[in-house]
Amino acid sequence: MPNLKNPPLKNRERDNRIHIFESIRWYFLRNIVQTKNARKVVLSDGVSITKPYSFGLFYLLILIGLSYYFVDLIVISYFEITPFELFVKRIPNFTNIVSKMITDFNLPYLPRIIQPLIDTIQMAILGTFIGAAFALPVAFLASQNLVKSKVLTNVIKLILSFIRTIPTLVYAAILAFAFGYGTTIGVIATAIFTFGILSKMLYEVIETLDLGAFIAVESTGATKTKAFIASIIPQIMGTFVSLTLYSFEINIRASAILGYVGAGGIGILLDDHMTWREYGHLGVILALLLVVVFIIENISRYIRKKMS
Amino acid sequence: MNPDVQSMYQKRPKTLARDITLLIFFTIVIVWSTQTIHFDGLNPAGIVISRSILDALTKPNLEWLLNFGEGTSIPKLMLETVAMAFLGTILGAILAIPFAFLSARNITGRFASFFGNTLIGMIRTFPIFILGLMFIRVTGPGPLAGVLTIGISSIGMISKLYVEIIEDIDSGIIMALDATGANSFQKIRYGIIPQLTPNFISTAIYRFEINVRNATILSLVGAGGIGFTLTAALAVYRWVDAAAALWGIVIVVLVIEVISNKVRSMLVSGDR
Amino acid sequence: MIVFNNVSKVYSNGTVALKNVTVSINQGEFVAIIGLSGAGKSTLIKLINKMISVTSGTITVNGEQVEGLRGKRLRQYRRKIGIVFQSFNLINRTTVVRNVLASRVADMNIIATLFGIYSKSDQILALEALHKVGILEKAYTRADQLSGGQQQRVALARTLAQRPSVILADEPVASLDPITANQIMKDFKRINQSENITVIANMHHVDMALKYADRVIGINKGEIVFDGPSSEVNEELLKKIYGREITDEDIMFRDQ
Repeated sequence: MPNLKNPPLKNRERDNRIHIFESIRWYFLRNIVQTKNARKVVLSDGVSITKPYSFGLFYLLILIGLSYYFVDLIVISYFEITPFELFVKRIPNFTNIVSKMITDFNLPYLPRIIQPLIDTIQMAILGTFIGAAFALPVAFLASQNLVKSKVLTNVIKLILSFIRTIPTLVYAAILAFAFGYGTTIGVIATAIFTFGILSKMLYEVIETLDLGAFIAVESTGATKTKAFIASIIPQIMGTFVSLTLYSFEINIRASAILGYVGAGGIGILLDDHMTWREYGHLGVILALLLVVVFIIENISRYIRKKMS
Repeated sequence: MNPDVQSMYQKRPKTLARDITLLIFFTIVIVWSTQTIHFDGLNPAGIVISRSILDALTKPNLEWLLNFGEGTSIPKLMLETVAMAFLGTILGAILAIPFAFLSARNITGRFASFFGNTLIGMIRTFPIFILGLMFIRVTGPGPLAGVLTIGISSIGMISKLYVEIIEDIDSGIIMALDATGANSFQKIRYGIIPQLTPNFISTAIYRFEINVRNATILSLVGAGGIGFTLTAALAVYRWVDAAAALWGIVIVVLVIEVISNKVRSMLVSGDR
Repeated sequence: MIVFNNVSKVYSNGTVALKNVTVSINQGEFVAIIGLSGAGKSTLIKLINKMISVTSGTITVNGEQVEGLRGKRLRQYRRKIGIVFQSFNLINRTTVVRNVLASRVADMNIIATLFGIYSKSDQILALEALHKVGILEKAYTRADQLSGGQQQRVALARTLAQRPSVILADEPVASLDPITANQIMKDFKRINQSENITVIANMHHVDMALKYADRVIGINKGEIVFDGPSSEVNEELLKKIYGREITDEDIMFRDQ
């Protein structure tokens, strides 16, 4: 430990730069030691404890640092191009839309959007169902406590992790591009996404299951298949239904916007009305959407609560 | 037969009728839903395209994917996307605080909290990309619109989770502080805030994960980020470029997921 | 009647679990197998049910040679043997009576198993089994909401629903507190006597073994070092079986 009591002496024969470097190093080290000493508490019976540094402070600093960097990246660079007055002038564009949605609320429009809305809901239901149907067997295959081969389970989990990171809308965009527009691709996109997230949620549960019951039923003379059906399936069914409903809730919302990329449903109308500034119509759609999602969510919550 | 056994047998739950009805109901719902599909057979051109895309996934455009400098740089685009999500989440997390306190039953009472919760519900159901298009009218296309959109839209879910946290506050701690003679400020500072902060932060991080995906979605409607690159690449049939964009999304989302899970479990367990 | 003839078991990692074991157990006996952990107690039990196979020697149960059994015949053989495990091995989130009925699926078709459709006679059988162990009133409760002792009773009822001729118990009371353990052992005893079902129980609590079993088999390092009535077991004999002094670990009730 270098001598911290006195700063390094400036020696005629030494380079200025070395002196500066050493001074900085001296001050730096002294600071740390002093802080360390400041955080040291000596109790009345002589025992001393050093208070740990607050880790919260550390992460807060990281947060501030990142924020600063990102704000610079996005916000500052924006205002370098667009003058602030212009921005302020355009704010009414937003508030305008909101107020027009309320004032121009076009209720007679309602019957015309029933069919697209039904399409949207059907897409979500079918997509969830197909996705769930595939998710269950694959989740079993991905579970380490059911499948011996670690290679297989890890490969499946890896593929699943790719599938579930892509949002439904992106799948829909790609599929629409490949196969043309329509609700069918909406269903497929939803199915793929559901398959991705549901499998993960399922295998996480399966891996916590107690397989003792399986051994017990098998020992009574049942075949492996029957033992599996009788002991494992009942343990997972409730969770499976619950998680499928949860995925359905997510899918209903995603379904509403799939139309934007051409996958059918109500999404395409949303984009249309935005473009043509028909905010009254937009308001009606949004209101209906609100009601439908509210109803579906509550039914789904109710069922899920009943299951557990 | 033993009479106790007999009576127990009579008491058995007779759910068969109910179960069958449910099964039939679900079958009907599913069959009804298939009405929406018009299956004209798979467009052969579409199959060729899908196969090309899947194939391209194995050889993405590494020049774009690993480019950290000038030109089309997937890392930079993903950084922009993540930045959108990050700032948007912070904005939403801060704005959600007053909403949440106003909607918590143990703070404002049943009537006001119901009103607040409904408002939060409405924000949650507002389709994020409409919000995005609306903000683009103000800021023009670009990530700033994304930040504002994610910010406002996040208020919905974050407030809801905050409300749950607030309603879960252990008032025993407050009472204990009261007993030691603490004043209101101290009670808040030492009693309430420590209960709320870790969970608030955990919620924000959870929402951040979701927002990275939302940012990807918004980037498809023009709010900056990687979406435009993806659709542009598809439009000119450059599969390897599109694949590079997809890989960019996957890698970043997974990395963030891992980090986020780690940090959140650290928050919960109290480790450093 | 169960006959072990010069049975040896060597595991694939080289461990010699049993060495030249010859013993026969008659129908209706209550046998406790005691010895150190790893002495071979579990192995003995698992061989009877053919969860594992012998390396050499033969096991004959009621005239049937166990080694020759496979497939359907093995499954039919297993139906007559019930097993009670240390960790109960019940099906979580399912009611008690369905847990007991799980032992009937071996005789049911796949569809009935999948949808949980049990015949009336099976349901009555299950309820009667629950009655025999004294928890009939819990029949429609979820199994994981019961206490440890009650859960073990469910497991016992499950074996009874098989109408077995033998019940094997692998450390049946090791996870239970002393009072509950005694209750369960009493249940075993009662069933053994009223139904004339052979009970073979692995126990590492010596006092429980001596208290309830008529016959004790002591195993040390894979060999039978004692086989006789429990009344003959004294401290010296125990030292020979365990190869050491008896410690607190080996006793359920510390004050004895």
